[in-house]
Amino acid sequence: MLEHAYLIPLLPLTTSLIILLFFKEDSHSPAPYLGLAAMFWCFVQSVVIFYGAASGASALPYEANWTWFSFAADVAGKGFTVPMPIGILIDGPASVMLVVVTLVSFLVQLYSLGYMHGDPRFKRYYAFLSFFTASMLGLVVSSNLLVTFACWELVGVSSYLLIGFWFEKPGPAYASKKAFMTTKLGDCGLYLALLLIWAKFGTFNITAMTVSAAMPGYLSTAAATAIGLGILFGAAGKSAQWPLFIWLPDAMEGPTPVSALIHAATMVAAGIYLVGKTYFIFVHSDIAMGAVAWTGLVTALLTATMALVAYDIKRVLAFSTVSQLGFMMCALGCGGYTAGLFHLTTHAFFKALLFLGAGSVIHAVHTNDMRQMGGLAKKMPFTFATMFIGTLAISGIPPFAGYYSKDMILEKVYAYNHVMFYLLTFAALLTAFYMFRMVFLTFVGDDRDHEKHHHAHESPWVMLGPLVLLAFLSFVSGFGLEHGGLFERLVNFKLPEGLVPETEAPAHLGLYVTGLVVASIMLSWRLYGRNDFRLAESLKSRFSILFSVLENRYGMDALFLGLVAFCDRVAKFAFWFDSSVIDQFFVDSWGLVTTLLAELSALVDNIFVDRTVDGFGGLSMDAGVLLRSLVTHGQAQEYLMYIAVAVSLFTILILSR
Amino acid sequence: MTFEAIVFYSLSALVVISALGVVMHRNTVHSSLFLGLSLAGVAGIFASLSADFLFAGQILIYVSGIAVLIMFVVMLLGRASDLHLRQVNNQWLAAVLICCISMVGLWRVASSFSGSTVTTAAQPTTKLLGQLMMGDYAVPFELVSLVLTAALLGAIFFSHVEKPE
Amino acid sequence: MTLTHYLTLGAIVFLIGIFGALTRRNIIGILMSIELIFNAANINLAAFNRFLHPQGVAGQAVALFFITIAAAEVVVGLALVLAIYRNTDTVYVEDFSLLKG
Repeated sequence: MLEHAYLIPLLPLTTSLIILLFFKEDSHSPAPYLGLAAMFWCFVQSVVIFYGAASGASALPYEANWTWFSFAADVAGKGFTVPMPIGILIDGPASVMLVVVTLVSFLVQLYSLGYMHGDPRFKRYYAFLSFFTASMLGLVVSSNLLVTFACWELVGVSSYLLIGFWFEKPGPAYASKKAFMTTKLGDCGLYLALLLIWAKFGTFNITAMTVSAAMPGYLSTAAATAIGLGILFGAAGKSAQWPLFIWLPDAMEGPTPVSALIHAATMVAAGIYLVGKTYFIFVHSDIAMGAVAWTGLVTALLTATMALVAYDIKRVLAFSTVSQLGFMMCALGCGGYTAGLFHLTTHAFFKALLFLGAGSVIHAVHTNDMRQMGGLAKKMPFTFATMFIGTLAISGIPPFAGYYSKDMILEKVYAYNHVMFYLLTFAALLTAFYMFRMVFLTFVGDDRDHEKHHHAHESPWVMLGPLVLLAFLSFVSGFGLEHGGLFERLVNFKLPEGLVPETEAPAHLGLYVTGLVVASIMLSWRLYGRNDFRLAESLKSRFSILFSVLENRYGMDALFLGLVAFCDRVAKFAFWFDSSVIDQFFVDSWGLVTTLLAELSALVDNIFVDRTVDGFGGLSMDAGVLLRSLVTHGQAQEYLMYIAVAVSLFTILILSR
Repeated sequence: MTFEAIVFYSLSALVVISALGVVMHRNTVHSSLFLGLSLAGVAGIFASLSADFLFAGQILIYVSGIAVLIMFVVMLLGRASDLHLRQVNNQWLAAVLICCISMVGLWRVASSFSGSTVTTAAQPTTKLLGQLMMGDYAVPFELVSLVLTAALLGAIFFSHVEKPE
Repeated sequence: MTLTHYLTLGAIVFLIGIFGALTRRNIIGILMSIELIFNAANINLAAFNRFLHPQGVAGQAVALFFITIAAAEVVVGLALVLAIYRNTDTVYVEDFSLLKG
């Protein structure tokens, strides 16, 4: 199976093209089943690969390269051909990611059968989903950073297409544009990093780069810092880290299963995964590592606070995703390579679960606003149960998956920096608070909107099936992967000596944190769990300024919009300057001067030169006319006479000698 | 005055006087007649220079050929009104002047040969001419025949009148 | 009789021919004058042959060629005169002024 791993990205790509080109738009179109079949095959193959790796049957990393293209290069007067291979590289993280991506994608597609039923662009939706997954899978398995970058951009395109899937509405159109442009801004940094990599390493092959970077003194700290910061900027765009996280809350405008896919497996995971893939560069630079850690921390804190005041169920989940991604970034920056990627894996499961559950709720009540929900637990027991499991998992309650990964992260961060640890713990407490707030507002208490509550119903099994499976995974994946150091064996990075201070975390750290989390959940229950919101309202009115700041997302949107407006104004000013100063003053006046000079020259030419030439012409003409009147009467005898006169003149000349 | 001188002077007088008649007579027909007379006089001069074949050729070609031809043409083209018109244009004074000047020059050239007299007896030249024509001058001779043919064709071409159909 | 006499006669006939060519209005008159010029040349050739080179006949041969060429010239010339007369209905050279610039 390992030698046919190239099928994993190629199969969904082919499927998407086939669906797009050969299927007709029809609500009973077989397109979804084709996409599902392809994804299932990929899933099976991924599981086989993962099992082989986990059991130690197959040796990782596995790498296979094929020639893509080659070009002639000239370095220091020596010409040679540089090959650019295209290939697959499957190491431990890749094998895990493959399972996560294919599984989540498969479940999302299955879920979409119910959720997107009756949509007029059903077939196109499945083509895009397959394409999205194919791009992400290509990113995961590629052995060449250039191909990774290409897939990275394809992921961006796919997300643009899917977020703006309902492009008739202004919201999704605006959100897709915002997402695309914000991630593009980040891609600028990644692109610069790629240029630096090429200048430094002369290859894009990850294995070759790893070998080179491991040589002492090959990669200077300055170069590693520059490359690392560029990659971090690109990853911040893709994984919605501070300051480029503004697009992710708006991306909720897309279909909810797409949000699940974006948040769990494909889009936002790409940034984290890329940082993991190029981790060997980051470890050479303390600054880059610090930047990663602090970016993650700031993101985790800011978005966690923003989630406290959101009333849109999907927006709460979006903020929580960004916050969790911040946890991962922070872990990676603190040297917790295993912890970061472990959280990425477990988070994929419970975040997909939460989004699909939220989709189920929205499907039932046709609104995103939690203020119009409440008391849905009785109407939708399965959804409630699965979402409750997901919430426990994300809050870090043992023995759910989130506990293991978050615990691992906090241990690493504690060893790295105590202040960071306290701030991150605070973010974890906030996570528990707002997640339970969401659950309480949605499922517990009285129904606040009777009309909507009355029409609510449990979703069909095609939607509940994925929920149940994901809930199971959210329950077991943490323990299962950590058990016996399985994940650490698969996904590990040997850090250089002295990078991270070896401070042993105090024993039972996880238990202390869990205790705090439980307290936080209690607070959430006190504020939102009972049908009594007076305390919450009074808090809100007392800290209204703080609330409005949070609701305005710390003005980050306004900042970026202001930035855009400022750029717009600068561009307008530049246009004005160009058109009315440069064009009119310099170009046009220079043109005027040359025109005047040309006219002057023409005048001189006409008056003096031409007249002189004409004068000579006229002179010869007049002389000709004069001579003609003298000699030409057309009389042959006259000509003869001239000859005779000439002869006689010669005669006189001779005689006079 | 020897007999030779008498012959020369009389022939010269004939030639010059009739030549003057050619160029000055008002009547072109008479002019052509004078031309025949002048050419005959030249033939006599050839005879006095003991060029017997040239004498014969002059009589045959010029006097009986060319002069008669010209006379025919003159009579073909002539009109009665021509007799009342001036036959000399207004350049005649300048022409006389030029002729006088040229005469002086030519006389200077001619007088340089005043010591040259006839020393040998005359001999028939026909045989010698025939040998020359068929020997050294064969190529010019043939070329002249070609020129004559061309002239013949040219004369036919120019004087040919296309009859209207 | 010396060569001078003959040359003088040739010169006189030549100049009379020149005079005729310069002054005759009638184109046939000009042709006849040109014949006189030819004859003057022939007299000179025959005289030179007789006085300076009495053994050979080269001068007479050349004179013979001249006579032949003159005959050809007259033939062509008269044909031209006829053609011109037919087109212009005149024999006076001052009327032939097509070359006037």
